[in-house]
Amino acid sequence: MLNSLSNPRQAASQLLNFGLILSTAFMMWKGLSVITDSPSPIVVVLSGSMEPAFQRGDLLLLWNRNLFFETDLGEVVVYEVKDKDIPIVHRIVRKFGSGPEAKLLTKGDNNAADDTELYARGQDYLVRKDIIGSVFGYIPFVGYVTIMLSEHPWLKTVMLGIMGLMVVLQRE
Amino acid sequence: MHTSLVRIQNAFGFFTTVCFVVAAFIAASDLITPRAPSGTIKTTNVQVVRGRPHYYSTKKEEYAILKFSLDADLSSLFTWNTKQVFVYVTAEWPSAGGSSTNATNQAVIWDSIITSPSADHLQNIGPAAMKKLVKSAAGKSIDPSRGKLSLKNQKPKYQITHPTGKIASTEDVALRLHYNVQPWVGLLTWNQERDIGLWSKMKDGVSKKFALPAIKKKEEEKKKAGNKS
Repeated sequence: MLNSLSNPRQAASQLLNFGLILSTAFMMWKGLSVITDSPSPIVVVLSGSMEPAFQRGDLLLLWNRNLFFETDLGEVVVYEVKDKDIPIVHRIVRKFGSGPEAKLLTKGDNNAADDTELYARGQDYLVRKDIIGSVFGYIPFVGYVTIMLSEHPWLKTVMLGIMGLMVVLQRE
Repeated sequence: MHTSLVRIQNAFGFFTTVCFVVAAFIAASDLITPRAPSGTIKTTNVQVVRGRPHYYSTKKEEYAILKFSLDADLSSLFTWNTKQVFVYVTAEWPSAGGSSTNATNQAVIWDSIITSPSADHLQNIGPAAMKKLVKSAAGKSIDPSRGKLSLKNQKPKYQITHPTGKIASTEDVALRLHYNVQPWVGLLTWNQERDIGLWSKMKDGVSKKFALPAIKKKEEEKKKAGNKS
């Protein structure tokens, strides 16, 4: 570490490297967002409302473009209720009409009742633009790390500390 | 280059690469297993009632109760990569005012989750039943009867309503069987419109078109009508 301090050029290039890695990761994420047309193309399952299909900590891959087919009944979609920032992963159980104005009703497989109570006051159905993506692929367990990080914030500091230490120690 | 840190990093990197490749192979194995689902479905009793369909409904509206009989064979959908099969029966009908080929109103009237033995431990049943279920399937290949459904005069799980509140006397309603295969790793798949590769589309699986009746008249009115005639 002392070596890099005495050589400001090396320190600067290390910093630049770090910045490049961060921005490449960010670009890849945003690029994926653009390709899938979804603000959040990879989501982690947070609740047990779709068990036994999805468990907490599973990773879902989303696609939000209707190239060949409209979003149909039976698809598992992620939507956000107006004014609430929580994404909910449920299945479409009613569809009335067609096109972007079709009325959709969702329900979690593990819930007894449909989602009418979760929607905004006065809203009985969702429309297509409330949906931020439809699940097409699934990887089990991988997302549990993010759940642990959000529930135990001290883990974040520990991880950043270890990463920083590794980057610094790498310069032999 | 031979510090333990570098070795751990290399080993971890190799581990994740191998995991990824094996997962990709498992997901791809789904594409080379043939599927041949089939099902017959017909309605046994259709009623339209005016009332409150759900406990949270604030106003009375018309809702339909469609009882049906179903015979289906979905055993070919269960492979080593299947986690569960979500089976659901929908009622579909075209909207008023003439429409094109696709039904434009669809509602699920009944659904069921069939877990594969590898996912039995995730089901929502009590510990005794769970033990029994897991033991009955342990160490054997997937029992084809898991995918076979036979329901007679099944009461629907959900009543169907329409956003307009009126559903009586709707024409051209049909019941259709659908499935959604949830894998352990890979793509979620639904029943398809046509044969794709080794996967056949569902044989039959649609009921004949029928019309929803008018609302059941109250008993006194019926008796009065009966007495008059």
